Amino acid sequence: MSTILDLHSHSEASEDSRAPLEAYLNWLRLRHAERPLHGIVLTEHRQFNAAADYRALEDKFGILVLKASEVETDYGHVLVFGVNEEMTRRFDFADVRLPAQELIDEVARMGGVAVPCHPGRPTVGLCEHYGKKPPLENVVAVEVLNGGSRKGEDERSEELVQRFGYGAIGGSDSHLVSLIGLCATRFDADVRTIEDLVRELRTGAYEPVDFRPRRKAVPHAAAVEVK
Amino acid sequence: MAEIKTIASYEEVQIGDALGPEEMYLSKDQVRAYARATGMYVPRFTDDEGARKEGLPGMITPGNMSLAILSKLVTDWVGASGARMVRLGTTYRQPVLPDHTIALHGFVTHKNDADHSAEMDVWIENEDGERLVIGTASVQFPK
Amino acid sequence: MALNYDPALIGRVFETTDPVPVSAEMIKKFTDAIGETNPLHTDPAAAAKGPYGGMTAPPSFAVTFRNGQHFFQHVPRFGKQGFDAGKDVEFVAPIRPGDSITLSSHVKEIYEKTGRTGSMVFVIVRTTLKNQKGEVVAHVDHRFMNRP
Repeated sequence: MSTILDLHSHSEASEDSRAPLEAYLNWLRLRHAERPLHGIVLTEHRQFNAAADYRALEDKFGILVLKASEVETDYGHVLVFGVNEEMTRRFDFADVRLPAQELIDEVARMGGVAVPCHPGRPTVGLCEHYGKKPPLENVVAVEVLNGGSRKGEDERSEELVQRFGYGAIGGSDSHLVSLIGLCATRFDADVRTIEDLVRELRTGAYEPVDFRPRRKAVPHAAAVEVK
Repeated sequence: MAEIKTIASYEEVQIGDALGPEEMYLSKDQVRAYARATGMYVPRFTDDEGARKEGLPGMITPGNMSLAILSKLVTDWVGASGARMVRLGTTYRQPVLPDHTIALHGFVTHKNDADHSAEMDVWIENEDGERLVIGTASVQFPK
Repeated sequence: MALNYDPALIGRVFETTDPVPVSAEMIKKFTDAIGETNPLHTDPAAAAKGPYGGMTAPPSFAVTFRNGQHFFQHVPRFGKQGFDAGKDVEFVAPIRPGDSITLSSHVKEIYEKTGRTGSMVFVIVRTTLKNQKGEVVAHVDHRFMNRP
């Protein structure tokens, strides 16, 4: 049975997000028809909260909540799934210039998976770095669908996937409650734990899914009369 | 202009309710009027050529004006209910360029029955649907 | 990369401005510029019957007060003085014509991150606005984005 998860979201633990976790889950319950998600992954900026236990909220809303991180490297931002103590001792997650190749390889060795996110974004995405540096090795997947992308960015990410054969994931990158789950990833397999997620990202079948409403043309409104 | 929903009381508010959406055409003259009114009549907010010299694509809307626009979205929504906006937080993601149509969006995301307050997401989108300014607001209804 | 600044700066009020008088005309120019038509902010007669017993400025008027001329000398810089990245405002009491507003500021937090435009250092300054009665009118947290 398949699983749909938003693999990229920020709660108020991330300095630029204004979304309490409970409000995220409540929103997903409210919008379940348009965004049929089984769960979300919190990918907080430059930190990992090992102690946080969201089981009570998971039970209350019947929605899976997994924990991960979004870190910053010399090849752009990277989502790290399967964070453990060994990883946080080895890498300072607050460092904005982590070595990407080491991160990818060491995280894999330590039982997780590192997935470059929004690769098509200027400066903090892979595409631009691949233009000036050798491509990274051992990349399992990249985030092809990101809810915060601007025009053309996800298209660039898609080209990267075509060129290198990376797996493709989707995530909302939400920093506001109402934006959770607009982009997500559908896994063929059942994913209930972070171990399941890491295993499926490495070897399973998955694809990005887009729940954003189709845009209609914005009519031009009248200008405010200036006195 | 389309009828914009206003709220009469806390009881009427539902999580998921929309503020707006509202489209507005932000003209350069209006931006200049704001810059003049707030003592910020400087090139980046008033003159394309001057703004370009600062590395901007052209004159831009002051962040404070975007904040005022979103503030008005919220206060218009609370209408005559007696509710008061107690907090508004904004993040400026991209410059808001005048002489464009912008769309204002908002959604009620939380209600607190204990103190009759509500939280909402608010944001400004450009014609491509990109979110230029995002934020949240807290509103306190009379108890 | 360790950010270089004096940690004693955090929390220390570095500036309190002279009082800034608020006139009805200032408020009118503001409401005209943003297209505000709510009678509470534009019609003294209607406002007199409203919840505040008189004209008040729209809440967003609170962010239009200029900091003192030496403000940026006290706010740490990291490379090029950059942009207004956003504001978080707590609206405590309304501002009325005839009020005199004083601003007091301190550095609240400093942190760095990378984004689409490169490395950024954010400096958050909290400015507290008080009126002539010493009542807090608003707290404004400004986020300044510097590019090192």
